Amino acid sequence: MASIYFAGIDLGSTMTKVVIIDGSEKVLASVVQHTGAEHRRLANRVMEEALGKAGLSVDNIAYVIATGYGRINVPFADKQITELTCHARGVAFFFPKARTAIDIGGQDAKALKIKDGKLVDFVMSDKCAAGTGRFLEVIAQALGLKLEDLGPLSLKSTRKVTISNICTVFAQQEVVGQLSAGAALEDVVAGLHDAIAGRVARMTRRLKVEPEVVFTGGVAKNAGVVKALEENLGCPVLVPSDPLLSGAIGAALIASETVAKLQASGTFKPMTGRRLEAASFFK
Amino acid sequence: MTQEVKTRPLNRLKSMYALRAEVDKMYEAGGDAKAEGRPVAWVMLEGWANAILSAMDVISVYPENYSSLCAAAKLAGPFLERAESEGYPTHLCGYARTCVGYSARMVELNGQIPPEAPAGGMPKPTLLVSSGEVCDARFKWFQSLGRYFDAPVWTLESPSPTARDSLTPGTYERNVQFLTNELRQFVIFLEKLLGKKMDYSRLNFTGEGTNEINRLRWEINQLRKARPGPMHSRDFWSVMSAALYRGGADPTAIVEGHKKLYEEVKYRVDHGIAAINRPEKYRLAFEGLPPWHSLGFLDDLADRGWNFVCESAYSPRRPIEIDLSKISDPIEKYVRARYRSLADSIVDEFGAEEAPKVVEEVMQEGSARRLRLRHIREYQCDGVLLHVLLSCRAASSGLSLFSDQLLDVYKVPSLIIEGDIIDTSLFNPAEALRKAETFEETMDHYRKVRKDMGLEW
Amino acid sequence: MVVATKQGMARVDELYRERPQRVKELKSGGKKIVGYLCIYPVLEMMTALDLVPYRVVGDMREPITKADSYMPPVVCPFLRSCLDTGLKGKYDFLDGMVTSHICDVGSSLSGVWNYTVKTPYHYHIDTPHTVHETSLEQLRGLLGAFRKSLEEFTGNKLTDAMLKAAIALHNEQRALVRELYELKKPDPPLISGAETIKIIKAVQSLPTNEGNALLRSVIADVKARKNGPVKKSARLLVWGSILDDTALMEMIESLDANVVMDDTCVGSRPFFEDVKPTADPIDGLARHYLVDIKCPRTFRAWDFYATKKNYMEDLKARFSYLSDYARDWKANGVIVESVRYCDTHGYEVPGVRDYFKEVGLPSIYLEHDYTEGALAPLRTRVQGFLEIIG
Repeated sequence: MASIYFAGIDLGSTMTKVVIIDGSEKVLASVVQHTGAEHRRLANRVMEEALGKAGLSVDNIAYVIATGYGRINVPFADKQITELTCHARGVAFFFPKARTAIDIGGQDAKALKIKDGKLVDFVMSDKCAAGTGRFLEVIAQALGLKLEDLGPLSLKSTRKVTISNICTVFAQQEVVGQLSAGAALEDVVAGLHDAIAGRVARMTRRLKVEPEVVFTGGVAKNAGVVKALEENLGCPVLVPSDPLLSGAIGAALIASETVAKLQASGTFKPMTGRRLEAASFFK
Repeated sequence: MTQEVKTRPLNRLKSMYALRAEVDKMYEAGGDAKAEGRPVAWVMLEGWANAILSAMDVISVYPENYSSLCAAAKLAGPFLERAESEGYPTHLCGYARTCVGYSARMVELNGQIPPEAPAGGMPKPTLLVSSGEVCDARFKWFQSLGRYFDAPVWTLESPSPTARDSLTPGTYERNVQFLTNELRQFVIFLEKLLGKKMDYSRLNFTGEGTNEINRLRWEINQLRKARPGPMHSRDFWSVMSAALYRGGADPTAIVEGHKKLYEEVKYRVDHGIAAINRPEKYRLAFEGLPPWHSLGFLDDLADRGWNFVCESAYSPRRPIEIDLSKISDPIEKYVRARYRSLADSIVDEFGAEEAPKVVEEVMQEGSARRLRLRHIREYQCDGVLLHVLLSCRAASSGLSLFSDQLLDVYKVPSLIIEGDIIDTSLFNPAEALRKAETFEETMDHYRKVRKDMGLEW
Repeated sequence: MVVATKQGMARVDELYRERPQRVKELKSGGKKIVGYLCIYPVLEMMTALDLVPYRVVGDMREPITKADSYMPPVVCPFLRSCLDTGLKGKYDFLDGMVTSHICDVGSSLSGVWNYTVKTPYHYHIDTPHTVHETSLEQLRGLLGAFRKSLEEFTGNKLTDAMLKAAIALHNEQRALVRELYELKKPDPPLISGAETIKIIKAVQSLPTNEGNALLRSVIADVKARKNGPVKKSARLLVWGSILDDTALMEMIESLDANVVMDDTCVGSRPFFEDVKPTADPIDGLARHYLVDIKCPRTFRAWDFYATKKNYMEDLKARFSYLSDYARDWKANGVIVESVRYCDTHGYEVPGVRDYFKEVGLPSIYLEHDYTEGALAPLRTRVQGFLEIIG
């Protein structure tokens, strides 16, 4: 059983993640790379890197599931499944008691309801930048700070400022106003974290928040947002050690489960001659 | 640098404060009623239901008004958020969503008033009375509250004929019958709900109460045509609640309050005192519903010499003496007292001589725009602020056409400011102020155009 | 006289691409074409006077450029698109326009259309909002006034006999549409949700008798063809505001689902109940158009005189026909959709979803904004939903 391998590819708008596991759910390799313009067509390169790390070739992989925003750009995948289902599965893998999951990515935010390790309901927000990683990027740039410095800075705040504007553009203006009026930088940054967390918490509450609550996605690396989310939800928020991988791991696990089901019904036919090629715009 | 003691931009009427305080009494009455076990109805703005409910000793509480109170106190946010998590789309009426959030909280607290609710909150309703007056969203809103309360919902129908229809023979009488029958059914329902018969002698609609207040409001509004404008829209909105969301509150205090208001406004007119503490550079009309959450924005405009002298919503009706002596049915009497035919309204406005011409124009065009635009001319407005509301389509849909027609007929320009009645996040005051500054040039330009055309302002 | 050479689905496609082609032919032959917005204008009264009713819809693929001068952007984009299309002259062939009190914006649009597009004949029916007996009486009166107006417009008398004949013809169409919908019961359904919209739209752009003939040929066509929809894992019911374009359906059906039933108005709503025969035909018409058509713009309740509301009974009274649809068409999931800024359906969403939850039908709420661009993110949501119910 151990020498059967599965791959999950999460092609997000900002980051591409690949995870390879074996038949006993052990992670053999994981790779995270910037999606950029290139990787949207070149998920194969990231896959190759992961295979290299695992010491495998593409022929060893029994089943590949692609997920994420760009999941249709993975021509060598057996199946495409939404990041909603994959994240839920991945979160349940990290935290078996998880009932609510929040994922804030580069361009969207989602909240998932999980029961018995599977997705049962969800809410998505992808119409605007507020409440996503983009919001923090824009703010960081406007303040001349590095994205990774925002979190630690916000934790220094003693009196966070309330940012009332819902829109990223207007929020920027408000920030400038606050700073000119003499507010401390860490207090303003804490206010911004509160704004993004508040927005996401509001969205999440449509699902009736139940513990354990897990937070994933690039923004989960920001300790300031984690804290603000806990304050807004009024409960502890858990973050996996690798918050970017829940989608890819979930996809790989689902790949494993899919093959097990197909094998049980005697209908599993592994893809032969799988080629790691770039996505093309023409079929 | 010269030392300038800058006074506050708005010169608010002193008598306004006492009247505004009457609204608190209304909420108190609601709370008392519930405590005493008396029935409480959640209703809409002073419409058909209110006089009937009063006659049946039901206390009226107004969620619309309560929502605007929450917004003005900057406390609506959590209720709006709660409505969102309850699954209500976010473009729905701000009043409705605030009410939904409030209701969900009440249910969570087993029917208790949420501690975070301002002004003592609203007591749990015995019944909900919605109506088609003003907008359609209202009855959908109350219908959806079935998730939170087992209070029955009664929807009062209200006809909304087109202008042409209104002037077609037969329409008025048919609508009178419709309204009368609807209200009769409402009474039957109330009698069943409350276990007692309606005492028609208590149906108070021609006496001192409502009409006297309406007449005083009308007279005050006529005084507001003076230059400079003596009463700002902000004061109008502050006292409006006392008149229109009266519910079971004793009308005497409100009548007296309006008499004092009249005196104070008359004094200002006689002495040329303006509603703003700045030279009156521009006279503005406000179209749409007020931004309850950001009324201070109008103070910023007042600082620039903008005096808001009239507004489209909550206006008093022209007080007309109607002879109802031949009508025996009390409900029908009530209907005829409040529902005036368009033909009669045109005669009221334009006089018997000019009326036929106006009627012909309306029939031809299919729209009563001359009536609608009239107040801009009467108040000699230099511009109109159109408050397009994200969450209110009833108030906003007609604004673009209105602004077009206004420019066409009276050469008065309009400024569109997008916002909302309740939701602060939808309004950007800095941007609105910038737009306003630019608009001043437009108003200056059209003043010249009107002058060249020979219009009197 | 030009005769349509195509029949069945080929004719449907032709008409879907260029809807006014037939009515323009009829107009040049002397017929009067009367546009109508939504499903509350009483079509039988127009057909009876030999007017050709023509459904006015928007154009999702045309950017709105002219309507903004007359309607702010915070209103229903479908209605704005209708106005925009009218302002661009695409409805200049209409001799008349009949609207009704469907919603606040719809009523406003009626006035704006009259003022700006200036279709020669214009009438607005102030349809009441509840199913009270008093409301029925009011609608009877309103239809009496509409009758007089139509008689003036056409210069002809509208007799009861003419009206009864028109009712029979329209009922025939309703029966044919229901027959069409029966073809969606098998697995896989013989026609897709997207095709259903095309067919209904085509039918609503023809005079009634021609629409009936088209339906007959479509039904025959569909029964005989071999290239219908394929079997999918999910069978869905779609509930909500007007879908006058196939884009949303196509998006849903590009995934592992077939849309087998709908409760929308370029769909089942106008067709699933017949006008009942009554001595005075106006009675049957009033009851049909106010009570039988199930649209959230009409306030319904389990018992208007109940002194306590029983939420579940109320939901059942309002929505049980939907679980009947799901049962009869074997739907295992519901797409609850509404266009942004639609208040009528917006307020209904929590209640209708409560109902579906109560009867064990999984549902998802999609809000769209009447543009093609908005559909891409909805795809993930629909797929996620299918993965949950799969």
